[in-house]
Amino acid sequence: MIDCDYLRPDNLEEALGLLKEHGPRATLIAGGTDVMAKIRNTKKTPEVLVSIRGLKDLKYIDKRSGYHIGALTTHRMLEQSELVKAELSALHDGASRVGSVQVRNVATLGGNICNAAPSADTAGPLLVLDALVFMEGPEGIRSVPITEFFTGTYKTVLKKDEVLTEIKIPGEMEHFGSAYWKHSRRKAMNLPILGIAVSLKLEGEIISDVRIALTVAAPTPVRANKAEDFLKGKALSDEALNEAGKIAASTECCSLRDSLRGEAWYRGEIIEVYVPRMARLAAERIAQRRSK
Amino acid sequence: MPDHLFVGKSVPRTIEADKVTGKAVYIDDLKRPGMLYGKILYSNHAHARIKSIDISKAKQLEGVRTVLTGQDIPDVRVGFLKDQTVLKKDVVRQYRDEVAAVAAISPEIAEEAISLIKVEYEKLPAVFDPFEAMKQESPLVHEIDARGRPLKSNILPLPWKFETGDMEQAREDSVYTSKDTVSTTWVNQCCMGTSGCIAEFDQNSNLTLYDQTNVIFGHIGRITEYFSQIGLRGKKIRVVNPVVGGSFGTKLDTDIYEFIAIQLALKTKKPVRILFDREEEFQALPPRQPAVFTIEQGCDKEGKLIFRHCEAILDNGAYTSWGATTPSVMMMPMSSLYRVPNVYFKATCVYTNNIYAQAMRGYGNPQATFAVETSMDTLAEEAGIDPAEFRLINRNRPGDQTPMKLKITSCGLEECIKAVKEKLNWDEKQGKQNGRGVGMASLIHVAGGARVTKSDGHGIMIKLDEYGHVDVIESGTDQGQGSPTVISQIVAEALGVRPEDVFLTFGDTALALWDAGTHASRHTFMAGNAAIGACAKAKRQILEMAVEQMPKIIKMGLKRKKRKDPEFVEPDLDFGLIANPEDLDIRDRMIFPKKEPDHPYFNLPLAQILQNGLLVGTGQSKVVMAEEFYDPPTEMLNWEMKGNLSMTYAFGASGVEVEVDEQTGEVKILNLIAAHDVGKAMNPTLLLGQIYGAAYTGVGYGLTEEIKVRNGRVMNPSFRDYQMLTAMDVVPIEVVIIEPIDEAGPYGAKGVGEPGLVPTAPAIANAVYDAVGVRITDLPITPEKILTALKEKK
Repeated sequence: MIDCDYLRPDNLEEALGLLKEHGPRATLIAGGTDVMAKIRNTKKTPEVLVSIRGLKDLKYIDKRSGYHIGALTTHRMLEQSELVKAELSALHDGASRVGSVQVRNVATLGGNICNAAPSADTAGPLLVLDALVFMEGPEGIRSVPITEFFTGTYKTVLKKDEVLTEIKIPGEMEHFGSAYWKHSRRKAMNLPILGIAVSLKLEGEIISDVRIALTVAAPTPVRANKAEDFLKGKALSDEALNEAGKIAASTECCSLRDSLRGEAWYRGEIIEVYVPRMARLAAERIAQRRSK
Repeated sequence: MPDHLFVGKSVPRTIEADKVTGKAVYIDDLKRPGMLYGKILYSNHAHARIKSIDISKAKQLEGVRTVLTGQDIPDVRVGFLKDQTVLKKDVVRQYRDEVAAVAAISPEIAEEAISLIKVEYEKLPAVFDPFEAMKQESPLVHEIDARGRPLKSNILPLPWKFETGDMEQAREDSVYTSKDTVSTTWVNQCCMGTSGCIAEFDQNSNLTLYDQTNVIFGHIGRITEYFSQIGLRGKKIRVVNPVVGGSFGTKLDTDIYEFIAIQLALKTKKPVRILFDREEEFQALPPRQPAVFTIEQGCDKEGKLIFRHCEAILDNGAYTSWGATTPSVMMMPMSSLYRVPNVYFKATCVYTNNIYAQAMRGYGNPQATFAVETSMDTLAEEAGIDPAEFRLINRNRPGDQTPMKLKITSCGLEECIKAVKEKLNWDEKQGKQNGRGVGMASLIHVAGGARVTKSDGHGIMIKLDEYGHVDVIESGTDQGQGSPTVISQIVAEALGVRPEDVFLTFGDTALALWDAGTHASRHTFMAGNAAIGACAKAKRQILEMAVEQMPKIIKMGLKRKKRKDPEFVEPDLDFGLIANPEDLDIRDRMIFPKKEPDHPYFNLPLAQILQNGLLVGTGQSKVVMAEEFYDPPTEMLNWEMKGNLSMTYAFGASGVEVEVDEQTGEVKILNLIAAHDVGKAMNPTLLLGQIYGAAYTGVGYGLTEEIKVRNGRVMNPSFRDYQMLTAMDVVPIEVVIIEPIDEAGPYGAKGVGEPGLVPTAPAIANAVYDAVGVRITDLPITPEKILTALKEKK
């Protein structure tokens, strides 16, 4: 049984006020799919739960000088958005594979990245989409690139008195194709053994820009910079992609571990195989969009 | 007129509407007045001596009614080999050892109290590998046996050895031989409803146990024995099922938590409920027995099997439940799946400090069939014979008597194998090793009861009221298998009513006659035959009543008609048509003469006869009720492990087409064919459900499911980490029903509860081999194992 104060502000200002008032005693809760599971698993209940479910203003997917996604946008909304599917494909891939429909109906994008699990299914996609994370607190609004957002396993730069409000993806990502692969044993209700996200831009057959991100490959979701550097300016070929996969799987890009869900050697194999596969899929998606 | 009105029809499961609307009362919903909530403290070590237990803080917690340790209750041994006590007071031998228990006024308080109990342990050397445990120098899991005699070895004194023919000669005669070592691991039954019970004593210390068991009378036997040792000799025990949320074998034994609930109820004089949470269900419920088999087979030039030799090692865990008896069922496929004249099978159960196992759907058969069917493929390859052809050459046939003395009556194995071949387009696809492959496996299973106790009987009682409603008091249990529908179809057919007129009461030892248990795929067969017998008796009573009442009612009707219509000419009726019970029949609620079923006057509603014949006045009133105890003429296994323990046997074959990703080792099932000899499909929709469910569970067994036990501890006690397949993972499946009506079965039916699961995993393993040329002999067939094997092959 959960015994705590449950506060439900109607707007952001109120929410920030409550966070200030209750300080470290308060825990922010949105969809609750991580917070409630944590309470149950650790048998530790926060004294105060501040629910931001009532902040309807933070639920949106807009395209205007870039893509703006409200922090309370659910995974199901992302899954059902034609815009996200067509132009932010990796995010669509990631959001559609979280839990089950029931979970996706309540779980929010903001929550997924605030929880900062190394396995978060939207983290890899956001990393390859160059997302900016907006937070609001007593001192106003600030933003950090998603690459700086995660500071450790289940740790982020978000302060106790701040609320994550928006994820912004720059407009130039429109020219990128992207894809995310969640490697898992079954098709639903699962955490990934490994996640691989790739976005790239093509000039003819030349990869003019590329981003590769890995989840469950390090304490936080990470970009595989060395592999990206290798690919940049090269032609899209099996040889180049396979080499990029090898670099991504090496200790230069990740620190793979054995865990209950998968062994390090196998994770390495999956990176090697799926970096090229996702790059190919991203390129295919560019071609598909052009042909429309 | 069709042969059957209801049998063989897909009558919907409307009886169970309460389940899908949330009205059904499961153990989770059941509350008794003043009920307390029990909780168990488990061990922190795989093997350790208990130095002290401090319960003082737990006892002081407000709302706690009692805290029990092994010191507080009689030191009585329980279990199949009496190798454990209810609460452990000296030594813990596995992580799930029950060390203390609490009863409190809420589950939360009980849980908090458990966390306040402090136990000091002194670690002892532990052993987790059965092969290590068999060695002389291994630590002993048990120092003494149930009678207090010192033990020198971890090997259990069980008689699992089967031998027939001349093995030495057979080896010599064989032209081709193969040898494989295969292994299977622990898997959880994954019932939707977790384990739980409520123990309640009356003021005279008689016990009512609300319990999800599917062997209600077996519970009484075991608890009676326990009672006799704790000062409750002669007390009455009543076991009552709430609505049961699945069994799959979990509820065959009386588990330790049930004895704990009894002790907590005794101590507090209140009803006490223990209900497992999901983590507990994964950690403290005995799962399917793991086993390692070394199997050799040999055949002649033409591919006829000459011998099968198999030795199995079973990791028994720290104590003994039904898992240790699964070799008795393993013997069935080992000796009798395909024709093989010379057989040797020996199973050794070894104590370790791991969790212990019990029954799960198939009861040893899935493990053994994985071994046999792996070997069938390797030997077929050795002999250069197509694996399907090899199976056809060696198939069982009707009229066979197997080396185990099983009498094969009806047998549709040939049709099943051929159906799988045809549906998979076998001849075109097999043998390519191009990333896609096909594989198959067959099965034999008991399908007409299983005489594992002295009686394999099933009792049923039926009674009718004056409205034509039929009450059926079943001695079996309904754990969701569809029996309320199937048995009501049988009763409706046999008695001449409709399924919606039939009301079943399951799972109450105070009401029901005896039953051996709803296990071994036996319920439809046993209860169906018993129901047919009881219905025949009740029908006779009704027809005797009809002989008395029909002429009266008809004559009265004619008189009435005459009164209303003086023109009416009374027909000259031949009442001889309805003069004897033998001349009458009942069908679809109507009673009529057999000779003239459509007779315009001699067709009367059953309810009308009952209203006129039942409650009629002093000295005349009657009841219609009948019982039948069906105990088939089968044999218990003798000391050689031979005997015809079932009235009939089910056969089937599974075929699978897979695609294997050679870069990642992932297996995709493109098509699954499940062909089953079911005798008679009593309710085709329900039958498909049984086979789909069993086959999908088999896919999980083959590819994903595994309780990860590391140094004795269950590491993945949740559905997040235990990879049971979800609705999103279903694979294309086609079921082929073969109906060789079985004379012994009710309307020709055989049991089908377990068979669908049995051949699935080996069929997948064989298909993987056909796709990429690597043979995975250890379940589950994970991508890691395939990738490793592929790398080794290169």
